[in-house]
Amino acid sequence: MTEAQRVECTSLLRVDGLKTEIRQRHATIRAIDGVSFSVAQGETVGLVGESGSGKTMTGLSIIGLLPPGGRVVGGRILFLGQDLARLPARAMRAVRGSGIGVVFQDPMTSLNPCMTIGDQIVEPIRAHRESDRKAARRRALELLDLVGVPQAKERLKDYPHQLSGGLRQRVMIAIALSCDPKLLIADEPTTALDVTIQSEILELLGRLKAALSMSMLLITHDLGVIAGHADRVIVMYAGRIVEEANASELFAQTRHPYTGALLASIPEVDEGTDRVLYSIPGVPPDLSQDRQGCAFAPRCDRATGRCEVDDPQLEGCADHSAACFNPLTTEEGSGRSPMHAVAVEPRRPPPSSADKRAPLLVVDHVVKTYPVTTGVLRRRIGAVNAVSDVSFTMTQGETLGLVGESGCGKTTLGKMIVALERPDAGSIVFDGIDLTKQSNRATRTMRRNFQLIFQDPYSSLDPRMRVGPALREPMVINAIGNGVSRDRRITELLGDVGLSKEAVRYYPHEFSGGQRQRIGFARALTLSPRLIVADEPVSALDVSIRSQLLNLIKRLQEAHELTYLVISHDLSVVRYLADRIGVMYLGKLVEIGTCEQVYGRPAHPYTAGLLAAVPIPDPARERAKRRIPVNGELPSARNPPSGCRFRTRCPRAQERCTVEEPVLQAVSGTDHQAACHFPLVATDVGKSAQRDGSRAFGSDGA
Amino acid sequence: MFAYLVRRVGQAMAVVIGVSIIVFFLMHLLPGGERALLGARATPVQVHAFVVANGLNHPIWVQYVDYMGQLLHGNLGYSYHYNESVNSLLAANIPKSALLVGVSVVIALLIALPLGVIQAVRRNSPVDYVFTGASFVGYSMPVFWLGIVLIGWFALDLHWFPAEAPQGAGVGAAFSQPRAMVLPVATLVVVNVALFSRYVRSAALDNLVQDYIRTARAKGIPERVVLLRHMLRNSLIPVVTILGLSMPFIFSGALIVESVFNYPGMGLLFWNAAQIHDYPILVGGTLVVSTAAVVGSLLADLAYAALDPRVRYV
Repeated sequence: MTEAQRVECTSLLRVDGLKTEIRQRHATIRAIDGVSFSVAQGETVGLVGESGSGKTMTGLSIIGLLPPGGRVVGGRILFLGQDLARLPARAMRAVRGSGIGVVFQDPMTSLNPCMTIGDQIVEPIRAHRESDRKAARRRALELLDLVGVPQAKERLKDYPHQLSGGLRQRVMIAIALSCDPKLLIADEPTTALDVTIQSEILELLGRLKAALSMSMLLITHDLGVIAGHADRVIVMYAGRIVEEANASELFAQTRHPYTGALLASIPEVDEGTDRVLYSIPGVPPDLSQDRQGCAFAPRCDRATGRCEVDDPQLEGCADHSAACFNPLTTEEGSGRSPMHAVAVEPRRPPPSSADKRAPLLVVDHVVKTYPVTTGVLRRRIGAVNAVSDVSFTMTQGETLGLVGESGCGKTTLGKMIVALERPDAGSIVFDGIDLTKQSNRATRTMRRNFQLIFQDPYSSLDPRMRVGPALREPMVINAIGNGVSRDRRITELLGDVGLSKEAVRYYPHEFSGGQRQRIGFARALTLSPRLIVADEPVSALDVSIRSQLLNLIKRLQEAHELTYLVISHDLSVVRYLADRIGVMYLGKLVEIGTCEQVYGRPAHPYTAGLLAAVPIPDPARERAKRRIPVNGELPSARNPPSGCRFRTRCPRAQERCTVEEPVLQAVSGTDHQAACHFPLVATDVGKSAQRDGSRAFGSDGA
Repeated sequence: MFAYLVRRVGQAMAVVIGVSIIVFFLMHLLPGGERALLGARATPVQVHAFVVANGLNHPIWVQYVDYMGQLLHGNLGYSYHYNESVNSLLAANIPKSALLVGVSVVIALLIALPLGVIQAVRRNSPVDYVFTGASFVGYSMPVFWLGIVLIGWFALDLHWFPAEAPQGAGVGAAFSQPRAMVLPVATLVVVNVALFSRYVRSAALDNLVQDYIRTARAKGIPERVVLLRHMLRNSLIPVVTILGLSMPFIFSGALIVESVFNYPGMGLLFWNAAQIHDYPILVGGTLVVSTAAVVGSLLADLAYAALDPRVRYV
């Protein structure tokens, strides 16, 4: 049997020369331009790429749910002997939900808010199996049990908004699996979820895939997710496949420069911060334009004249192929060091903790609650403890990273520091002045000292204001300078953030996401602030753009002598940026210390669990790493658990944790503090044995 | 929920009292009221007698307190001109207007819902363009002109329907002459369909691009079910808003249509009262209509909660 025949008969899905276009008013976007691959029985194929790479469109083409204007214009999609690209609507409907199940990205919006969970699961069962109502309900109950939804029976009558994000994604999976599909397409199934929930969901998907002998097409931008869960990986760029290989092979022997660059642009959670992150220059190509040569050539540091003229095709064996004229050599492609070599630049040493200057910011026992009321007279019956009793200090020029899952209070804390919210108790002293005691007017004049950078560069700029006036406004409000000096300042700042001065004439929508975030930085810098609170500054950006911004953030710190408070759920981003890290859980600061301390020797079981949950873009390490479960769901902030708030999810919890609330106390060194009765780090444990959080936990298991 | 309701009813009462104050005082600021009512030939003695008889010589706040005291007993006052209690005038006229406007709104809704959905599903197709164009024509057409055109075609040329609305007193007349109701109702339906279908279309468009519609389609259920079960309910919220906002019109009537088709309802009653400064009718009518407006928006809010389980009033 030839190789081709073998593929033919074992593959469940074979995509052959797929071309998909999206017609828009003024242009036609070639979203997928000749993509071929197959998914074998029982196999998990990972489809990786940045936004616009065509990975999601590939999934949507397969199930025939392209957005308006979208159309498959060429190629075949063979699934169980049928060409899905040419299937009439009715036959296609029979495949959807039955032969192929889909899990979409955002469980918050992917379920109908007006229908109960039960009705939504029953729907496909009744459509495809024609079983009676009662049998379908029994099946729905079974499915909820299968995907690990606790108290499944009561949940059937719940509406989606009554469930947490993780549970909703489990419901989505139950819907996708309801009719025993042969293929599961999971499109960014965990991107919208917290990292501890992400690992649970990925594990669940892997387990179910094996148990139900399905195949899976796992679409994601996250190479870490792919590393741990895909058998084979397909890397897409600008609507084409640039590299395809077995997972271990791809990470160990990268061939395409784009894949190599992507891997090098990801800051890693177990990696030091003393290097400048590699970043891919430029932006992805406009897919409505005719392409000539390799689409990646303009951003590729290996491009030659030929790359701009000829179109590279996938070459190599069945196990590993890449579309490149100048692929990375075996040596270059192994490990990630060569890419680093290109980029390594010395980085400023963090301000040493020995340097005991007067702190710039002192946050002291800060509390913020939001009341919960009831009755005709809105009697107060409780409160959501957004931030309870948090204290820390920041010195001039340092970067403090604040990490934690959604709902831990990190954003509320950030808002209080920039005086957008007032704490209920405690004080926030900025440069000797207590912000909580200032009048509104005094706060307003203080504001120029601390600025906020927002997560979403699409909604944080006024769409009807050109960039020039948007940057000028803060100076006008604060009556700083005159027309000429303001314009000079704007030009200077645009240069600093890497934009041309022409930018002032354009509207925000004329810029890409990365550029918009740069504008956001320029806006924050107009008033020469001393402290910048950056709330998820790069979460909305693609990997290759993200690393550009991360480097910019560091560069600006040196140029403008900034102090940063970086808030993020992404532990690797925070590790890359921060000198010190604070970990928050349910409104409490549970651990704080330098990067090396917190990441190298986490003391709080929650920190260790968080670290272990971060997927590492390296299959060998990702699969070898020990799982530390942070079990179950986040408790309600309205009735936080007594004693230690983490105890309900903590594998080390004991009687004492229920009764006595732990306070922050030094664990190793004076700077490293954790609020835990049974911290993981014994002071005498050697540093080398504690390199990653999982092992730290494992070796110290009580 | 109960607490919410109590609070909202409390607010509604405050609003209505506020409206009563504003209306009462504004009406009495109008100059020359008695003169206009009694006619130019009334002697000063007669005018004085009228003023005293109706308590108009008291300070205005005393008049207001008197009026509100009567209102608590369900008495809206006595019309100078019709020589009849406002209660009985409203009782005679509101049902007629309610019938005209209510029937029109219901019919308009029944047409606009599917129309808007079809437009949204077939977005930017000829069907969409034709109905969108028709909506704009319908909505921008002056109602009196539309009424006259309909009379011209269907009453004068084709003799299909009478040109005049049912004339009998009370609401029974409308039922005895259903054909005579067709043209006035049709006039209002055209205007309302044009308005409602725009709302339905845009709500449906918003919902069609939602992720849960994609999820529903990924389940492999028929498109008809996707639209009816998943999209429609989520698209009804803006419709409920306009229905709530239509409540006052059911009580205030449609002045222009009523006058074009000579259909004596609240609109005409109000219009005539305003011409002759018949304060009790104006104040009473305004109170009833404003109460309807407040109740309408309350009902709309309650309907949101019924439609969307995420909406919970506490």
